[in-house]
Amino acid sequence: MVRASRWCGCWISKNKSTGHLQLDDRRFGEKLIRLDPEPFQLVHDSYTSIPAMIVRNFGLRHGRQVLAAPSSCLVRAASTQATVAVAEEHRAVSASDAAALERIKARKLKLEIQKMPKAFMKKQAYHKETHKWGSQIERRYVPDEILRNPPHDASLEDLMAAQVHMGHYTSRWNPANSRYIYGERSGIHIIALETTAAHLRRAARVVEEVSYHGGLVLFVGTRKGQKPIVVRASELAGACYLFSKWLPGMISNKDTALANGDVVVVDELDRPLEGFEEHLQDRRPLSPDLVVCLNPLENYVLLQECAKANIPTIGVIDTDADPSWVTYQIPGNDDSIRSISLLAMVLARAGERGQERRLADAREGVVKWENPREVQQFILRAKSAERRKEKEALEKAAEELEKERKTSERLTDEEILEKLLA
Amino acid sequence: MASTTRHGLTSALRGVPKTLYTRQTQSLQQQFQSLRLSESAAVTNGCRCLTTEAIKAAPEVDLEALKTRKVHEVRHARAIPASPGYFSRVAKFNDTYIALEKLLAQYGNLPTIPATEVERVQWRTYSDFATGVGEKIRLIDYKRCLAIVKRLNQIHPKLKPAVVKTALESFKREIQAYKNVPKPIPIDKFGRALGVGKRKSSSARAFLVEGNGEVLVNGKTLAEYFGRVHDRESAIWALHATGRADKYNVWARVDGGGTTGQAEALTLAISKALMAHEPALKPALRRAGCVTRDPRRVERKKHGHLKARKSPTWVKR
Repeated sequence: MVRASRWCGCWISKNKSTGHLQLDDRRFGEKLIRLDPEPFQLVHDSYTSIPAMIVRNFGLRHGRQVLAAPSSCLVRAASTQATVAVAEEHRAVSASDAAALERIKARKLKLEIQKMPKAFMKKQAYHKETHKWGSQIERRYVPDEILRNPPHDASLEDLMAAQVHMGHYTSRWNPANSRYIYGERSGIHIIALETTAAHLRRAARVVEEVSYHGGLVLFVGTRKGQKPIVVRASELAGACYLFSKWLPGMISNKDTALANGDVVVVDELDRPLEGFEEHLQDRRPLSPDLVVCLNPLENYVLLQECAKANIPTIGVIDTDADPSWVTYQIPGNDDSIRSISLLAMVLARAGERGQERRLADAREGVVKWENPREVQQFILRAKSAERRKEKEALEKAAEELEKERKTSERLTDEEILEKLLA
Repeated sequence: MASTTRHGLTSALRGVPKTLYTRQTQSLQQQFQSLRLSESAAVTNGCRCLTTEAIKAAPEVDLEALKTRKVHEVRHARAIPASPGYFSRVAKFNDTYIALEKLLAQYGNLPTIPATEVERVQWRTYSDFATGVGEKIRLIDYKRCLAIVKRLNQIHPKLKPAVVKTALESFKREIQAYKNVPKPIPIDKFGRALGVGKRKSSSARAFLVEGNGEVLVNGKTLAEYFGRVHDRESAIWALHATGRADKYNVWARVDGGGTTGQAEALTLAISKALMAHEPALKPALRRAGCVTRDPRRVERKKHGHLKARKSPTWVKR
């Protein structure tokens, strides 16, 4: 290589062996342009002694694609600078300075992004090694601790800690709740936690047995912040959730309101069954067998529909709620997310136990639930159809046998010989 | 010999019913056919031999098929909802939303890259998504959902788990416009660049080659083709604005529309060709207004109007 000229931070050089000329941008170590000798000759004729001119023409003639690409002052100089007016030029220069800054920033960012995975892994490894070092940090309150590790039962201390005992202002009370109220303190009613615990256990038993008998439980919590609670509860108990508004008529007018709901038919081990497609098209939508309502005050319509359809309900009854709206009351604070999540998780765990028991029994061949009437009817119909088919097949076979007996003639020796020789 | 065989066969088959006779001979024939002479073996071994290659093992027993019981054999069956959101109005959407929230809770601590650096994605619009799911989703809920999707998409691409990627797929539009990259205009062996431009209902193709400023439009010079000075100027405005009017020759074909449309279509065509020659001129050309296609078309006429917007004169009765 022969160094020919330095211009604008770039080098022009000639490759001895091939005769190719090339422009190098040394700052970035990039080869910008490589040229065939022939066009160079043409250029050389017109601007004999001025290397800058040569370079400019290289840029103009052959480096368009390359110059279009990235970052070099060559781009600016080779294409625009030569012929644009002076004022324009200044603007262009300052603009491109800003652009250069931008480019540097972008490159830095890109580098940072490139390093991210490695840095993250390093941090993880470091954390893994060191997070157990040092003193034991005191256990603090974690808001979603109850959801992460749901308790199987709630002691009086747990209930107290979750503020289940806090009622409403005494003036807002519903006198029907007087048997659940322990007393009055600084203007609010205090709920008797012994009663709460007893009612909670009774309700948990109900949920467990409904789940055990293959019933459909629905957890309803439509207040703000209750969504994760009902979702988690339904997950544990294999139940349904509702965290948006109850659509009126989902039970009383279910044929219309739930027409598009997807239903599957399962066996005693919850494995989906095939062959029920026809039934699924014809059958009516499902209704819950038990509704757990975390905020009965806002779900009057739902509870009314359940009452009319003989569906049992469990509800958290605060001092201002009417306990007669639900079948199984749990007196407690329904305004605190913490208290609601504790009560809901205890019920959800009960549902989980019920499901586990049901599946364990089913594995041993014990099934305590009866087929729903609609499903049973479909199965019976299929059975009778099968019986009819079998009967028809038997008749047909007997007929054929009879026919065969009639047509069977003995072969003569001559016929046998004929057949063999054929 | 023949007589003994004949006698033996007839005695063996005597007293057999006709139908049974045919069945037996058929099955004997089949068995014999399965023991046919193998030609390939004969070729390789140099001798003829009997093989049983045609006898194949019985097809494998499909255990799954045996497991599926027929309806009349089922003892216990009950119907349950396919989704836990059965009683909410938007079951499928809720399931998706909850799944996304879980993903965010699980992978929210992975490092993210700035929103400007993320590969641009066109997310499905609200109406598109709602019709796809087939439920009456609220707009606010879809927006919340999309916020989670965008946050998950910001996770560093090298650390993004496959679960997240698949979850995001259902929110992407099928056609991603950001993936369309315009083809670069090549310069051919004669040093020409072809630019195509449109304006109103005219379209122009301009070949730009280095030269001394000659312009031919449909075989005529600029002055011959465009009567108005304004049109002449706007036709080669791209060259004027960058001071390249005497550096290039233009050979162009224009059709459709009127003079203004043709002249401005030519502006766009020439500027595109010029950018192929000198890409660094793009900012200057943009400032000169030669880069963007003007999408305006003639506004349609409306009934009750004389033109697009002109109303008939009001007449009292």
